[in-house]
Amino acid sequence: MLSFGKLVTNEWLKMFKKRSFFIPYAAIAVVIALVAFMMKQFGSAEGMPTGLEFTSAMFTKNGMGQLLTFLAIIGTAGSVPKEHSLGTIKLLLIRAQSRSKILAAKYVSVLVYILSLSLFAAGFSLLTGGLLFGLHARELGWNDVFLSLLVQLAYSLIYVTVTFMIGVLTRSTGATIGVGMILVLIESLVVGLLSRYDIIKYVLFTNVDLSVYLEGGTPPIQGMTLAFSLIVLAVYMVLFLGTSFVTFKKRDVA
Amino acid sequence: MNEHSLHENTDNAPVLSVKGVTKRIKNRNIVDRLSFEMHRGEIVGLLGPNGAGKTTTIRMIVGLIGMTEGDVLVKGKSIRNDFAGAIAHVGGIIENPEFYPYMTGHDNLKQYQRMTEGITEERIRDVVKLVGLENAMKKKVKAYSLGMRQRLGIAQALLHEPSILILDEPTNGLDPAGIREMRDYLKRIANEEGISVLVSSHLLAEMELMCSRVVVIQEGKLVTVQSLGASGEDGTPAERVNVAFRVDDAERAKARLERMEEISILKVSEEKNEVIISVRDAYIPRVVGALGAEGIALYRIEEIKESLEDEFLKWTGGNRIA
Repeated sequence: MLSFGKLVTNEWLKMFKKRSFFIPYAAIAVVIALVAFMMKQFGSAEGMPTGLEFTSAMFTKNGMGQLLTFLAIIGTAGSVPKEHSLGTIKLLLIRAQSRSKILAAKYVSVLVYILSLSLFAAGFSLLTGGLLFGLHARELGWNDVFLSLLVQLAYSLIYVTVTFMIGVLTRSTGATIGVGMILVLIESLVVGLLSRYDIIKYVLFTNVDLSVYLEGGTPPIQGMTLAFSLIVLAVYMVLFLGTSFVTFKKRDVA
Repeated sequence: MNEHSLHENTDNAPVLSVKGVTKRIKNRNIVDRLSFEMHRGEIVGLLGPNGAGKTTTIRMIVGLIGMTEGDVLVKGKSIRNDFAGAIAHVGGIIENPEFYPYMTGHDNLKQYQRMTEGITEERIRDVVKLVGLENAMKKKVKAYSLGMRQRLGIAQALLHEPSILILDEPTNGLDPAGIREMRDYLKRIANEEGISVLVSSHLLAEMELMCSRVVVIQEGKLVTVQSLGASGEDGTPAERVNVAFRVDDAERAKARLERMEEISILKVSEEKNEVIISVRDAYIPRVVGALGAEGIALYRIEEIKESLEDEFLKWTGGNRIA
């Protein structure tokens, strides 16, 4: 277990030591500050949100949810492909560690990364919202903020896992970022086009946005429940991770 | 014969044994039932023309490529069934060593330290000192020259005190000074620490200077295993050598030598005034005496050695460039 922790440390350092590491965090801060400033400046007095409402709004899919997901995709796309393009994969795989363990460490470091992005965004939203609008609870409490953070994390997690798999399969950072982003963008399009068919219930895209199950939301198809979506998502996750691990384990590194 | 004497020198089991390893891709055998063994402190060269399967073989030994059949044992542990246990004894540089360019040399070595239990900070310092990179450890690897990266590659491979080093084309892209430096490191490591070294290369002259044995493969199959240098000459005294005599009159020398038994004349070159004969070692003083008695002036006596290149072309049929 100790050695697995060290492997994760390794993977984290590979991301952290890059000069570009802080750019996504800076981008998040700038966007949040900008939105908060615009609301304060141009919003009417009675339409002003509280700090909690502001934070919760930032985490919806149409708020910053997609931006966070994009940043997470860009940040994690290189995890496996970069080892191939730099050629470091050869020295990485001739250590006394199994390939599964190495890939697992990569996946865990990716999870840590999206968690850090989301927590940073949450913290910065609360800070900005609190300073500009005050942190008193109205209809929306801390609990709701926490739930919207959780929903956003799940949303990012799914797409990042797909991206991770594509990275293992294609070994190309560019292609991985491209495909990952396109998937996020065509999500609503696919749901819209296929909504006539029953099968849409089982499509990944229909289930990724769990916010529809929060208070006041409506599921895309009648009769879908939170439990149903969670099961569908779990099946997809097993599929994506299974494909990644089997491919990575079997691959001949030429 | 040589196999036998090697066993006597090293009473322990082989450090590396490649057992009937086969790699089949789309019904074509890239490597075909290849077997050889390596012992402690040996430097063995893996030779072959382009496309012979050298790189595939090396990569199968270190587990980067899966084997279709056969197995590789490192210190008795199977690469197939006990990868972590077997590879723990192996240090490798596969082609040019590649590092994370945005990290310092030290950060890169730390990466590999974390992947193996029990590598101390002191061991890192020792290895860095051995390859002479003390002053470059705080620099980012992207600022390294190829020679420096090659040295960091050796440091990385030695970090976990392996029993065997496996190098795939280690001198690729190095300048002559770098090649020589590399060669000296490897020889020192093999002699002083008893580490076995397996090197694949197509630079024959390089292999000749470095290796005690070569394993020659062609089209994935083992062609021959040959001992080089000292171990090749300690054969039975009856062995004949080829010697060139430079004289003032090749015709007369030939006429005289023809009358002697135990000598076969291989070639007479009029323009160079040379006679090349095949003769026993012990017989040479008599040849010299005979020529002197005949009044033939003798300018040079040279042994004609077949270079590794000649032999290599002979083994591989000479139809391809190495």
